[in-house]
Amino acid sequence: MKRLIALFALVAPVAALAADNVTLSSHAFVEKVKPGPNGKPVTVLEEPKLVTPGEKLVFELSYRNQGAQPATGFVITDPIPSAVTFAGAVSPGAVYSVDGGRTWGPLAALRVATANGASRPATAADVTTVRWSFPAIPAGAGGKVSFRGVVK
Amino acid sequence: MTRTQRLLASASVLAAASITASPAFAAGTTSGTTITNTVTLTYNVGTVAQTPVNASDSFLVDRKVSFTVSEVGSATTSVSPGETNVVTTFQVTNSSNATIDVALAAGQLSGGTTTHGGTDDFDVTGVKIYTDSNNSGGFDAGDTQITYLDQLAADSSKTVYIVAAVPQGRSTGDVAGVKLTGTASEATAAGSLGATITASSGANVANQVDTVLAEANTANGNTAYDGIDFAFDDYTVLAAALTVTKTSRVVSDPVNGATNPKAIPGATVEYCIAVANGSGGAAATNIQVSDTLPAQTQIVAGSIKVDGTVTGSTCNSDGTAGGSESGGVVTASLSNVAAGSTRTLVFRVTVN
Repeated sequence: MKRLIALFALVAPVAALAADNVTLSSHAFVEKVKPGPNGKPVTVLEEPKLVTPGEKLVFELSYRNQGAQPATGFVITDPIPSAVTFAGAVSPGAVYSVDGGRTWGPLAALRVATANGASRPATAADVTTVRWSFPAIPAGAGGKVSFRGVVK
Repeated sequence: MTRTQRLLASASVLAAASITASPAFAAGTTSGTTITNTVTLTYNVGTVAQTPVNASDSFLVDRKVSFTVSEVGSATTSVSPGETNVVTTFQVTNSSNATIDVALAAGQLSGGTTTHGGTDDFDVTGVKIYTDSNNSGGFDAGDTQITYLDQLAADSSKTVYIVAAVPQGRSTGDVAGVKLTGTASEATAAGSLGATITASSGANVANQVDTVLAEANTANGNTAYDGIDFAFDDYTVLAAALTVTKTSRVVSDPVNGATNPKAIPGATVEYCIAVANGSGGAAATNIQVSDTLPAQTQIVAGSIKVDGTVTGSTCNSDGTAGGSESGGVVTASLSNVAAGSTRTLVFRVTVN
């Protein structure tokens, strides 16, 4: 019995290191317009069981610090799926890349190359990757960030 | 849709973007494509960088079926009575995010106003549908008769012709209206028409491609979202309206000469056959005139003249030598008579 406990004592810290201190999930929704209670159309978010080109999507990224310590330098990075056109971040504090994550900045500061070596200001449709950063997430705290897209 | 949380052993910060088709066309992402969003989280505890966490989530793009049948040319097709292979032109465009077959049917109006403002009052005959198989831009011998368009890819179009014949006896201004109807059909196998596509009924299922009928056209009596689209065109008759008038005058007689001549034996009589084409119609072509001389007369050799003119109801003495006489029958060809003009056949005979 003592040996077994000693074995568990050896095993447990390794298991604790391998445990998820933070959890992360991605959940996509499709926006649909349906008749509301007054008969006036309302916009609802549904599970993406029926999604066709041109429809609007909302991606919700949920996170939680389940560890005993604060999580610092917390950075969530989401490359926009290739069949989706980025249509704006819902949650504040996002920075963007239009070059696959090499450089980052607010959308107004980004530019994309055009023909003949010229460039133009970047638009939401040019965004390849979106990122949020939090200096610290206390133990037990969590939240979600979300962004919009349109199915190409 | 699936939700997963996974711990990555590697230190890759930027997970690869999802591998999905990236369409550049209006039809959009191909039906059945999986859209996967992958998000990565990096963080530290204290000063120690932790293993990044990835999560991903996928769903399927469903099938949006939409196509248009539209009339090409914005004008009626002008036809002659009895003309064959008269063509009205349409275009069928597939804007679905999948390949479809399109079943085709040609129909005719029964009265009513046609698409270019005419009043439908006759039917063309022998109606067939063709496609511009050889991409020549017009209907020709290289085109194939069809009853459906096979395997029409997303964002592609085909030119389709309704080809028919015009009955004889129609007049200028008669109109035949025609209708081309397309029905979205499954593109199951090349070389055969698939079943009519229906919208998925019941609850939509994740991880299964559902179908939405999305064609929104309600012009000209179309119903939206029923997988059917149709357009109209018309044929308008432009006929020649010929009147033939035969007159005669006594030119001279042996007694009075040319002064008040009488139709006595030996007199010379000039016949004029005037072919007049009413205005507003088509030119008359390939005109053959034949006239049997009265038994008591003989042709004056060399007197036959064709393509003369009239002044009022009087035949002028112009015209050029032409035509022939044999066995008491004068035959001649006249040049084309344009709408609103007249040409004459003139010849002289002597009274036995």
